[in-house]
Amino acid sequence: MSVLSVKDLGFRYTKDGEELFGGLSYEFTPGKVTALTGPSGRGKSTLLYVLGLMLTPSRGEVILHDQPQSMAADAIRSKVRAHQLGFVFQDSSLDPSRTIIDSVIEPTIYAGVDRQVALDRAALLLEQLGVAARSDHKPGQISGGQAQRVAVARALINDPSVILADEPTGNLDPANAASVLDIFCEAAAAKQRTIVIATHDPYVISRADEVLEL
Amino acid sequence: MNLRTLLREALATAWASKVPSALVCLITAAMCIMTISTVGRTAAAEDQVAQRINSAGARELVVTDKKSAGLISASLIAMAANFSVSDRAVGLSSPVDVKNTVIGDGAEPVPAWAVTGELESAVRLESGRYPGPGEALVSTTALAKLGLQHPVGVVGIADREIPVDYAIVGSYMPLEPFDNLSQGVVFKAPPGSTATNLHLILSDSSQAAAAQRSVIGLFGQLNDPEAISVRSPLQLAQLHDEIVGDLGAFGRSMLYGSLGIGALLVAVVVFADILVRRKDLGRRRALGAKRNDIVQLMLLRTLIPAVAGALAGMSVGLGITMSTGTAPPLAFCFGVVVLALFAAGASTLVPAAYAAHSDPVKVLRTP
Repeated sequence: MSVLSVKDLGFRYTKDGEELFGGLSYEFTPGKVTALTGPSGRGKSTLLYVLGLMLTPSRGEVILHDQPQSMAADAIRSKVRAHQLGFVFQDSSLDPSRTIIDSVIEPTIYAGVDRQVALDRAALLLEQLGVAARSDHKPGQISGGQAQRVAVARALINDPSVILADEPTGNLDPANAASVLDIFCEAAAAKQRTIVIATHDPYVISRADEVLEL
Repeated sequence: MNLRTLLREALATAWASKVPSALVCLITAAMCIMTISTVGRTAAAEDQVAQRINSAGARELVVTDKKSAGLISASLIAMAANFSVSDRAVGLSSPVDVKNTVIGDGAEPVPAWAVTGELESAVRLESGRYPGPGEALVSTTALAKLGLQHPVGVVGIADREIPVDYAIVGSYMPLEPFDNLSQGVVFKAPPGSTATNLHLILSDSSQAAAAQRSVIGLFGQLNDPEAISVRSPLQLAQLHDEIVGDLGAFGRSMLYGSLGIGALLVAVVVFADILVRRKDLGRRRALGAKRNDIVQLMLLRTLIPAVAGALAGMSVGLGITMSTGTAPPLAFCFGVVVLALFAAGASTLVPAAYAAHSDPVKVLRTP
């Protein structure tokens, strides 16, 4: 069964604007890390947000678990995002007013998970990612590498089948970048997750199992 | 999101945005203080004016049989008492002098009135019992004038050739507006007698015009239009309507003004907060928040400081008005709190809807 695929995909920012992706059809392999790459302006991040059901394509479909989702109502797409998708942003996008553990459990609020269950899961994830000691800190009190690990923990908290990452190593030094990629590779292999990373970093591309060039 | 989670998130968000929360709190408090100390004072003044104008004295319609032609009979008084606008009605005779018959010619005279209709409509029994035929009540202040220590004795009409005596069986205090009865004696008018004055006490002074028409109607077609005179609270009722109307219009315009300005300011603060925190809202959308979740969150996040501000504003407003003796009723103050919260909530909906429909990608990709 396909987890994530696109069929005849096209996207325009404006009605008369240039179409991106040109009718792209592609099936992302479960358990593999796929790097989305290509020159600037070709729509790497845009494709990521289309796959994340945050942008609606001008043609074609995004198919998740054999269900077309692009044209679904906002409430349904939000529900799919909460339950089946995990996002990792370039700047980690942690809420500065929350503690680390509260940041990690944020997606569980929208997925309707019991708070105590969510806290237990978050503690385990932070332990696995080596940032458990910082769980009561605020994002401003941890390093960039630690913040990105927390963002990965947040993406994994609802145990999604797909993780979408937008330049997740863009702000990290090589050691931290390698560490974060190790986590992605483990996450993909352990539970047959589909991981899609938008990047132009040759190191990330070299670590990916598959590369989709736009 | 369930209500508990929503409340926890709203509290956390309100606490995280301290400046906007403080501003919403201050604006709502100011709305309540301004409304209670102006509109509330106006309402209290309106209430006081209405109470004064609506006192029993101001609700009294008096018809006088000017030529003592026997026009005001017991049955006419009973009919007037049964009007839907009538609180009570009694007939009073012209007063006659009575003296304590035990003292004799040297006794001090006091006025006495024959009352047609229910005595209870004009006086309140203080001691003894209500009188039967040949019996009377004496007012508590007239006791001393009559040389009585207790309401027991006999009074007689002073200037009649054939004396008429009344046994005193109790004392009374006059009811409003029959204050003039406080200096004398009352007794039930004998059957078949007529009264000089009909006193009709209305249930509401605003009914004066209708009551006046109805009372005049009771007399039918009079041969002599000068036979009766009517003293009516009609002008007072019109004045009451005008004052209440003017004060009400002023109060409403002040209320709408303060709520409108307050709502606008809250909307500006919430909108500014949304622009500052747009990345926060975009992240929430990316992580699975529905548009509805965002609207509910923004609404509740505004209402939490607004509730604190409204309650504080109500307390301050009440304190101000209490210090000047014009405190409005508590129900009015809670009404203002509800209206202020409604205004704050309603003014949040537009910026919240804007936040919910903003493109999360654009927001997330904005540095």
